[in-house]
Amino acid sequence: MPATIAAKPVNGPDQGIFHNTAGFSTLITVTVLTLAWLAGFASRLFAVIRFESIIHEFDPWFNYRSTAYMVEHGFYNFLNWFDERAWYPLGRIVGGTVYPGLMLTSGTIHWFLHALNIPIHIRDICVFLAPVFSGLTAIATYLLTSELWSRGAGLFAACFIAIVPGYSSRSVAGSYDNEGIAIFALQFTYYLWLKSVKSGSVFWSVCTALSYFYMVSAWGGYVFIINLIPLHVFVLLIMGRFSQRLFVSYTVFYIIGLVFSMQIPFVGFQPIRTSEHMAASGVFALLMAVGALKYLHSLNPKGEWKQLLILGTIVAAGAVFLAVVALTYMGIIAPWSGRFYSLWDTGYAKIHIPIIASVSEHQPTTWSSFFFDLHVLVCTFPVGLWYCIKNINDERVFVALYALSAVYFAGVMVRLMLTLTPVVCVLAGIAFSIILELVLKEEDTTQAPIETEEVKNDKSGKAKKRVQETVQAQDQGPGLYARPGTVIAFMILLMLFSVHCTWATSNAYSSPSIVLASYGNDGSRRILDDFREAYGWLSQNTAEDARIMSWWDYGYQIAGMGNRTTLVDNNTWNNSHIALVGKAMASNETAAYEIMSMLDVDYVLVIFGGAIGYSGDDINKFIWMVRIAEGEHPKDIHEADYFTERGEYRIDAEGSKTMLNCLMYKLSYYRYDSGGSPPGYDRTRNALPGNRGFKLTYLEESYTTEHWLVRIYRVKKRDEFNRPRVPLAKRTIPTSNSISKKTSKRRKGLLKNKPTVVKGKKMRLE
Amino acid sequence: MKLILLLLLCITLTYTNTNAQSRAKLDDKIQHLTDFTAKTSIIPLNVNRFKEYVKSPPRDYSFIVMFTAMAPSRRCAICQHVFDEYLLVANSFRYSQSYTNKLFFGMVDFDDGSDIFQMLRLNTAPVIMHFPAKGKPKPADSMDFERAGIHAEAIAKWINDRTDVQIKVFRPPNYSGAVAFTLLAVLVASFFYMRRNNLEFLYNKQMWAVAALFFCFAMVSGQMWNQIRGPPFYHRTKNGPVYINSGSHGQFVLESYIVAALNAAVVVGMILMIEASGGVKGTEVKTAQEGKKRRFQSAVGLLLVCVFFSLLLSVFRSKTQGYPYSFLFK
Repeated sequence: MPATIAAKPVNGPDQGIFHNTAGFSTLITVTVLTLAWLAGFASRLFAVIRFESIIHEFDPWFNYRSTAYMVEHGFYNFLNWFDERAWYPLGRIVGGTVYPGLMLTSGTIHWFLHALNIPIHIRDICVFLAPVFSGLTAIATYLLTSELWSRGAGLFAACFIAIVPGYSSRSVAGSYDNEGIAIFALQFTYYLWLKSVKSGSVFWSVCTALSYFYMVSAWGGYVFIINLIPLHVFVLLIMGRFSQRLFVSYTVFYIIGLVFSMQIPFVGFQPIRTSEHMAASGVFALLMAVGALKYLHSLNPKGEWKQLLILGTIVAAGAVFLAVVALTYMGIIAPWSGRFYSLWDTGYAKIHIPIIASVSEHQPTTWSSFFFDLHVLVCTFPVGLWYCIKNINDERVFVALYALSAVYFAGVMVRLMLTLTPVVCVLAGIAFSIILELVLKEEDTTQAPIETEEVKNDKSGKAKKRVQETVQAQDQGPGLYARPGTVIAFMILLMLFSVHCTWATSNAYSSPSIVLASYGNDGSRRILDDFREAYGWLSQNTAEDARIMSWWDYGYQIAGMGNRTTLVDNNTWNNSHIALVGKAMASNETAAYEIMSMLDVDYVLVIFGGAIGYSGDDINKFIWMVRIAEGEHPKDIHEADYFTERGEYRIDAEGSKTMLNCLMYKLSYYRYDSGGSPPGYDRTRNALPGNRGFKLTYLEESYTTEHWLVRIYRVKKRDEFNRPRVPLAKRTIPTSNSISKKTSKRRKGLLKNKPTVVKGKKMRLE
Repeated sequence: MKLILLLLLCITLTYTNTNAQSRAKLDDKIQHLTDFTAKTSIIPLNVNRFKEYVKSPPRDYSFIVMFTAMAPSRRCAICQHVFDEYLLVANSFRYSQSYTNKLFFGMVDFDDGSDIFQMLRLNTAPVIMHFPAKGKPKPADSMDFERAGIHAEAIAKWINDRTDVQIKVFRPPNYSGAVAFTLLAVLVASFFYMRRNNLEFLYNKQMWAVAALFFCFAMVSGQMWNQIRGPPFYHRTKNGPVYINSGSHGQFVLESYIVAALNAAVVVGMILMIEASGGVKGTEVKTAQEGKKRRFQSAVGLLLVCVFFSLLLSVFRSKTQGYPYSFLFK
């Protein structure tokens, strides 16, 4: 953020020279936006500077792997790509199950740069894509806010969104995920939509549909757009704000957007077959009905037509609603899918879909995470909302609906904070712009302006507001000291916001999570590179087609870095397969071996954080494995067995017997003797494991990384276990014994070891 | 040799005899229990019945028994809830297709059978226990309400765990929600109808704006989290009540109200300031008195914004470990 703050003084002194011309305000706009872009880009580079240019976390690894595949094999091969390395033995049709927008974007950039003979590796494009797009998001937000309020508000909003942690959480360098480009597409689509509602031109509607098409190709969150825009239209209809402009823009957008969105293989026929999209078509039908009634009304604008119009609209709305309900009952339209349904019925996922409930970003949001992600914006955006509603027009209806729906969704799910952040920036930008504009406007008449404030005055660029200035006497505004006081107070708030953003981005959101860092008492930093060590070992030391079993979190990383076949991965499309892996982890060794040999597993990989106190390891996730396994195999796995009688989840001597003997436990604690005193102490759970010194029968340890973080075991073949071990010395068969027993009396002939002939047996020579 | 044969015959005879006897007794018991169940789905048990049907040997059926204290003098509020849910399970079982005479539901009230409570060393109620057909009840045979909850579905799942009898809970559909909704809709509609000549208030932007702000404050202060997680109102400790949860992953209900109030104060302060300097429309100051009033309003607004934002920041700081920044207050 330092850059944006610095921006303001830089532009200040120019003011007197250029006298507020239109060209000057454009210059300021361009400068501020460029600096916002730079600041946003720079604040997202913490991870690259601290570690290296590396892809983060889990999903980005899959995106990176697909992008690399697409760049190597071409787009059409990518669409037809059947990945046999995932979901063994099922495989996954990648081309038809991803949103290809992200891969296409970076592939296009790669192609373009190579056409210019700039030899950049695709990995670097992937790493820096999200920070670059954050600048585009800032510009889109500027445009959107300018449509809604003023250009000054737009600049504020652009600066806010460039650095706000709620957005940078998903767009730091290396976080190569759909959201990184999708927020840009979201904001830009909304901007174009407002533009088309305002102008009613087919051109802007088609642009909206195109931008919507890009959004559909980029992120599943496009459903938010295709419900919010119809909601906007619907509310405008209720408010009696129907106009030809609205009619043209929505109908054009809906039809073209629908056709475009169905071109994405993953979306396919969903827009006309699922309930999530039905609001859009319902509103389309309703708008048609209203348009027809309005036309009839225009033929005879007198008399009882108005009553008829309202009645006809209500009847049409009822008919559309009933039609959708009836189609849902007949099974033509699929009902709400679990993921969406759980947004309304908040208890639904916990009972019915544990795999959704198990993901930490699907939890509800506490107030402190709102504050953490939005800081001062969280208590100023309602001011913007207040003034938008008080001075309502067609576009501000939209932003009010956007804010209210997004704030609800963000409350239900931490993850959806991402959709709330842009609108909060817009509204807070409006609030700050209003207040500073007012405070500084009056300042003009009194004395020479302070540089920093003057910029904002200019940003708002409203000449007509100045008309009243002369009327006001000096002492009639807020007191002589109140004005500078206000300005200083708000500058402090903004500075607090910018340092908070930097701090939050740096401390909370810039960890690659595949490289960990620990800090010693003297502040020295130690890099724990165990994950890459383990994946590197896998790729170097195992057979090309080896199958690795691990919990689904690590599937993408094993495929991306280790280049080996996995059973389950982060694309959690097959619950029963995941449950099977969970069952193997939760069973004892013998039962697990049956499952593992059924699934052809060669290696098992577990994450164990006990030695370094890493809390995100498999033992801590284990209870979800048990829950998911229990959901599919209620006969074999019982959650209660893994708790002590008092209902505690423990791993020490008081832990339940089932827990102490399950595969996950054994693989985590096998041969474990590190972790400080006493040896074998688990620093994550602060306990001494209850079952130690055991031997493994069906598996053998292959590799353990430096800090015990990743442990890899080989599953033995059937001929390798349960056979008594004979020392080498005893492996010869004593032949002389049979002879020595014989006394000389019994000896009949001189022929030693005379071969006897037994029918049906091969002759054996001794 | 003959003697041995005779002896063997003898043994077999007596054995089959006793076997037949116990068989008859068992049939008798099952017949009784089935008759009971035909009358009520939960069999009330006293000491004698408990000993005969649940404790004494020839049994090939499982028995689920709820130990409770339903008498109003016992003041067990939860007992009634558990009983309702338990009754739901028992009824669902009785009228379902999976009904067998291998599973019976019983109930012991403390006032009818305190001896049984002593016999089983129970000193709490309610307890639901499973008496398996063979062997003695294990620890897992008494249901853990703390973990599973007291819903009928949880009880049915636990029974399925213990006995392999699957009971699909049939809950009589709850119309109260629908009724309340219809009532509300009717109320609103009638309200509109009553005031049909004066619907101006619907165009009152102030009202809509206030409603929208309230919704935002509720969501931003984590009311949804409270709704889903159900935290305590505040925490009582030895050193007095604690209103702010010290971890950033938790919050108390009161805490969220405080935060909502702080947010609202900041917003009110900002709106006061804006209105004091003329508002968005830029209204002019007409009298000197109004100018004074506005100055005062503006100062109050600024004070509200600074103080309450600093408070918010320090509450946040106390919850977030290692957070370095604060404003006005530590």
